[in-house]
Amino acid sequence: MGLVLISHSGKLVEGLREMVAQVAGADVPVATAGGTSDGRLGTSAPDIAAAIRSTLDGGADDALVLLDLGSAALSLELALEELDAADRARVRISEAPLVEGAILAAVQASIGASIDAVAAAADGAATMAKLPRA
Amino acid sequence: MPDLRLTVIDPSGLHARPAARFVQAASRFASRIAIQHDGREADAKSLIALLGLTIRPSSEITLTADGPDADEALTALAAELTPYVAAAEPAG
Repeated sequence: MGLVLISHSGKLVEGLREMVAQVAGADVPVATAGGTSDGRLGTSAPDIAAAIRSTLDGGADDALVLLDLGSAALSLELALEELDAADRARVRISEAPLVEGAILAAVQASIGASIDAVAAAADGAATMAKLPRA
Repeated sequence: MPDLRLTVIDPSGLHARPAARFVQAASRFASRIAIQHDGREADAKSLIALLGLTIRPSSEITLTADGPDADEALTALAAELTPYVAAAEPAG
């Protein structure tokens, strides 16, 4: 399976892709869609659709999509409408926070876990403590 | 069930990168592998469970393995953690 990372910032998802590769290794395909097509902050439905397609066409059985805030979800919805039903059925959308979710998902995917297990790992990011317990 | 006691010597504790490597290494074995720290236990094949232990520098961890390749798993996992851990002082 592969990950698709969506952000309002291209730099953010490029940096996140680097982090994911360093923590989880290079075996998990990661596609990104960040910023508008003319390089501003924002999201682009065609870019998101292209990132999802490149993941599914690149040999991944499924794609887990992680996104940042606000209108990213709207653009993702539009992007999903551009996909045919068979492709759409292979896409899972994560509610996880983008950075932590991507890293947890990638590590779980790197050990060959199912999309359910990978999605669950990403979801765990929402409640993961950042600071050690007292 | 074999176990192995180790002390974390890396000044950052068991942070994300080595933890991820550890999870990947643990997943190559059929045995159930757990890591115990400070009275809590995590599944060694789950990064979120492992990070949830917040393993700090100088603290002690115990690896346990249960299954057909348990001994082999502990040997391999100790090797995987080598730059980050040392053998713990014998108990007692």
